[in-house]
Amino acid sequence: MIDEPISAESAQRILDRALRDGGLFADIFCERRSSVRMSLQESAIHEAALSQNLGAGVRVVVGESAGYAYTEEFSEERLLEAAARAAAIARLTAESSSRSARLEPIERSHDRLYDRNRTENAAPRLLAALLERTESAARSSDPKIVGVNAHIVDELQELWIARSDGSFRFDRRPMVTLGVQCIARNGKERGTGYCADGGRTSVAFFDSMTPEQIAGESARIALVNLDARPAPAGEFETLLGAGGGGVLLHEAVGHGLEGDFNRRGVSLYSGRIGERVASELVTIYDDGDIPEERGSTSFDDEGTPCGHTFLVERGILRGYLHDELNARLMGMRSTGNGRRQSFRHLPQPRMCNTYMPPGEAQLEEMIASIDNGIYAKSFAGGQVDIGKGDFVFMIAEGYRIERGRLGAAVKNATIVGNGPDAMTKVTEVGNDARFARRHYTCGKGGQSVPVGVGMPTLKISAMSLGGTEGA
Amino acid sequence: MREEEARARAQRAVEIAMALGASDAEARIVLARRFSAAARGERVTKLDLSEGRSLSMRLFIDGRKAMLVGTHWNDDEIRSGVATALEQARYAAVDAFAGLPEARDLSGVDLGLYDRAIEARRDEERLDDVRAVERSIREADPRVDNSNGSQYSDACVTMALANSRGVLGSYRGTQIGIAASPVASDGAFKRTAHYGSAARFLAKMDAPAEIAREAVRRTVAFYGARKPKTQSMSILFDREVAAAVLDDIFSACSAANVAVGNSWLAGRTGERIGSDLVDIFDDGTIPGALGSSPFDAEGTPSQRTPVFESGILRSFLFDTYYARRLGAQSTGNAVAGGIGPNTFFLAPGKASLEELIASTQRGILVLETIGFATEHASGLYSRGARGIAIRNGELAEPLEEFTIAAPFPEMLAGIEAVANDLKFDGSITSPSFRVAEMQVSGSSSAP
Repeated sequence: MIDEPISAESAQRILDRALRDGGLFADIFCERRSSVRMSLQESAIHEAALSQNLGAGVRVVVGESAGYAYTEEFSEERLLEAAARAAAIARLTAESSSRSARLEPIERSHDRLYDRNRTENAAPRLLAALLERTESAARSSDPKIVGVNAHIVDELQELWIARSDGSFRFDRRPMVTLGVQCIARNGKERGTGYCADGGRTSVAFFDSMTPEQIAGESARIALVNLDARPAPAGEFETLLGAGGGGVLLHEAVGHGLEGDFNRRGVSLYSGRIGERVASELVTIYDDGDIPEERGSTSFDDEGTPCGHTFLVERGILRGYLHDELNARLMGMRSTGNGRRQSFRHLPQPRMCNTYMPPGEAQLEEMIASIDNGIYAKSFAGGQVDIGKGDFVFMIAEGYRIERGRLGAAVKNATIVGNGPDAMTKVTEVGNDARFARRHYTCGKGGQSVPVGVGMPTLKISAMSLGGTEGA
Repeated sequence: MREEEARARAQRAVEIAMALGASDAEARIVLARRFSAAARGERVTKLDLSEGRSLSMRLFIDGRKAMLVGTHWNDDEIRSGVATALEQARYAAVDAFAGLPEARDLSGVDLGLYDRAIEARRDEERLDDVRAVERSIREADPRVDNSNGSQYSDACVTMALANSRGVLGSYRGTQIGIAASPVASDGAFKRTAHYGSAARFLAKMDAPAEIAREAVRRTVAFYGARKPKTQSMSILFDREVAAAVLDDIFSACSAANVAVGNSWLAGRTGERIGSDLVDIFDDGTIPGALGSSPFDAEGTPSQRTPVFESGILRSFLFDTYYARRLGAQSTGNAVAGGIGPNTFFLAPGKASLEELIASTQRGILVLETIGFATEHASGLYSRGARGIAIRNGELAEPLEEFTIAAPFPEMLAGIEAVANDLKFDGSITSPSFRVAEMQVSGSSSAP
């Protein structure tokens, strides 16, 4: 393979071509990504998969419109053709013209967030050894654990972003993930547990967060769910667990603050900066600048540095998450949230790591304060409707709370609510804020990107639990 | 011709792998020309014209298996990728079931998957379609005051497959999709819906104005919606959400999930699980359907597989590997990296959706669900939903912010009516159907 796929001279010619027919701005997103994935089933490593992709996309922006073309055949000739195809948007809406500035010398990313000097995927024998430790720890934790499926992924993404404003940047982003699903069985009853961790780091991460710990947690959840009862249906006072409960912030608030929805006026938060949108106990920010978190990058996929963005401060809406296009149209600055799945996609405003700082309540006291409620300790995922703010979460580990004490576990039920409504019903914020284990991926508009979430335990006065038992 | 080029590259990749020491090898090449556009208001806001080509290979060496996927194309790129993948294969376990399927003759099947009219479309015609959708959503209802953008996409795809057992096949297919996302203000909220239509043939597409009208109908349907009380009642799944239910049933029928204990259907072949109306098929041979292809990703010719017949579970869906592992025959469901549907569908009934509504005493017509299954072992269905109340056979007020839930076996056993509105517009599709009783969870039922 080529080492530096694109030179400054070549990038300059491609940008010049991109803007020849008009257009305000152009960029080239060139990406080389290599990932190794191993999976384990039935006590044996079942498969080793290698994925290697090299390609680039050229974008031309005019007003609120973008022309795009990518190529998987990497050569200057193909990229010039892509630039000409992307320029079709300018021919369609010929209203602005601009010239590309001379590209500055390439700027390499800093390595404060992750080690950008690792140039090779982890050795397969290390990945295999970690999987084997995971499986044996899960199996030996309890005889009721009858099935263990595990996978490990090590990925390096290199990218070169050249922009018509002259900036030319390079970054190399690592990512590792170790995930394990345990299936527990007792007669006809089954329970499953899942746990995964990793981040923008290397397999050395698993020296401190060991495969035994991850496997043990997965097995523990499977055993909890083995004894779980069908969940009740109805409205309950609800505690959302620290860490993984951050899926609430991501779904119920974060998506509604993405710049594209707000610029188009289709979000319920559109035009509401400065207004009260949540209980004054609620503060939420998005931060792409936290070492090793999945959503962290030195700069986003448009080459803009990632930062710390206040979304909600003591209940008041403070800002939106922006990429370059939507920020410009709204007269704001990009917050470094322009992200894309790969060179095959246009950037969109996306969350990085969404977080709520701690409050003062103690978990034990929060549990003791509830007469009949639900403790949703962790979530397996969620989804939201942007215009109305209705969301769902799938509970991975949850319990009933009865007369101030934790009761039986509930089988994987769904919680449904409305984002703005739930945010006004936050009645207590725990002192136990933390980031969730690092394995979340967010989907939007057909693109998946890695994200981080975190929060303290929250008490919400009423949420609907979608169980099968009459309340 | 591109199809010849794709076949030659696939064969060459197999040769390279064998020369590097693989005991067996398989290569798939996908060439695609994709067009997509979005419009909002008067403007075309996105125009994307891209050419893709990708390689995916399965390599076998001394009973071990490795995969290689990516943008490798020339001999050097393939050689380098294969060498690394073979090195990684050493860490996989020897697996007696791993290997290629028997070679079958893949020539001579034409399912009518390619539409020259799509290939011949001019960009201006495509943009006219997406502009027409955008215009029509505003004309359809005065309450529509905004749009999240209308979308148009089409693609011409060539697939070629070769392996070291002498398999060589290829086919071409087209697809086209149009979707609308109207927005209507309802007090402080924005009502949105996303609705689209897809086909392999331009002539089979719904007209842009029709797509726009249906999207708008689904957007304004929820004006003034409220939360229902917690109770149990009949649930009528509209065809769009019925397809999402079939998606979960497909996952439970996939041998990859069955083999690792991640399916509530594991070990239940031959049992009566659904009602008499539950006839579910996977069919890769329906002429012109989006889910059809002459053969699957590893060269097994497509077939029609009865999955449920009159409620009895007949078969899981297999690729060659899981078929060998579970002692069955491949059903032609191999996709890149696993098992996937051809056209997986519930057989239609005779009555119209309107007749199903009219025969519902007390229930909800569910038009949207949100949420997804995160595991398939427990067999519990629980989703957020929106719909229209049905009382005494008539549609009443809109409802939202509630969940519907039931164990899957009870849900399938409870299917008491199936509509006649099946369309082959996706790989997983369903007519509307009614489940006799499910738990609805909304506001407190206490007085």
